[in-house]
Amino acid sequence: MHEMALALEIGAICDRELAKLPETRVTAVGVEVGAFSGVEVDSLQFCLEVVLSERFAGVRCEIAREAGTAACPVCGLEFEVMRAPFECPECGVMARGVSGGQGLQLTYLEVE
Amino acid sequence: MSAERVEVREKVLSANDQIAAEVRDQLAGHRVFTINLISSPGSGKTMLLERTVDLLKGSLRLGVVAGDVQTRNDAERLERHGIPVRAIETGGGCHLNARQVSESLASLDLAQTDLLFIENVGNLVCPSSFDLGESLKVVLMSVTEGEDKPLKYPAAFRRASVLVLTKVDLVPHLEFSTETAIDNALSVNPDLRVFATSSYTGEGLELWTEWLSEEVSACKRDS
Repeated sequence: MHEMALALEIGAICDRELAKLPETRVTAVGVEVGAFSGVEVDSLQFCLEVVLSERFAGVRCEIAREAGTAACPVCGLEFEVMRAPFECPECGVMARGVSGGQGLQLTYLEVE
Repeated sequence: MSAERVEVREKVLSANDQIAAEVRDQLAGHRVFTINLISSPGSGKTMLLERTVDLLKGSLRLGVVAGDVQTRNDAERLERHGIPVRAIETGGGCHLNARQVSESLASLDLAQTDLLFIENVGNLVCPSSFDLGESLKVVLMSVTEGEDKPLKYPAAFRRASVLVLTKVDLVPHLEFSTETAIDNALSVNPDLRVFATSSYTGEGLELWTEWLSEEVSACKRDS
């Protein structure tokens, strides 16, 4: 449900970036969505297309997924995880919480 | 004309996070311990706050910021308990953001506040993504919601520091294992502090309010 609010934020960041790049046309916007960011990718894709196509006709919205990771408290191994519990594949110890994949960022603009 | 890629690498919520950081500084400046309450609709946030306010208002100076999609009903219920309450009507928004909280704080006397509750919009998904500048997040889960709620909605449980299980007086009428529910929550976040409560009977509220009082004292010492 909050994907529209996020898409509007992405539109605002695009506007700020474009102010630094006069006379360019945005052809694509790259966004990275962490597995634990709480963002539903299909919904964000839809909202981004609505928000960004108003600004930039024909723009592509390129969403990449960032894997979720956890770090083993014993051996320090950082491993990919999907859902709790997060068991270290090397020593079988449970990791406390996640170490990566909570982010949501605008990674790049493709311009011409 | 050839396409060129411009690296941006900006967090999408950086604008919200910036305001949240300012709110956090403002609250720390006045030594206000602040809780962001998150849960699904109907799990008992407002009733828990009503009971908590009654138990603590004699010893602590309290305040509430109450968010709802529509109506001021929750805020009005809490105002009857004789404490300052600010309502945020989001008008369709599924979560509170830091700007709304910042605007509400402008009309609260933070110098005269020890403990501030932010009652988020009832929703177990979206509010967990938005930092409001709180000291910590508390997630509520009522026993009628099912033991697997933390597994279905892990983000809210992962980002919270405290779990308040509510309506435990109803357990005898349900096929609900408190132990399994807590195990599920701890499997998502092993550092969760858990309180099992009933706002109806008062069970567990003493431990909850004692903990709040201790945190307020620690906040006064540390700031």
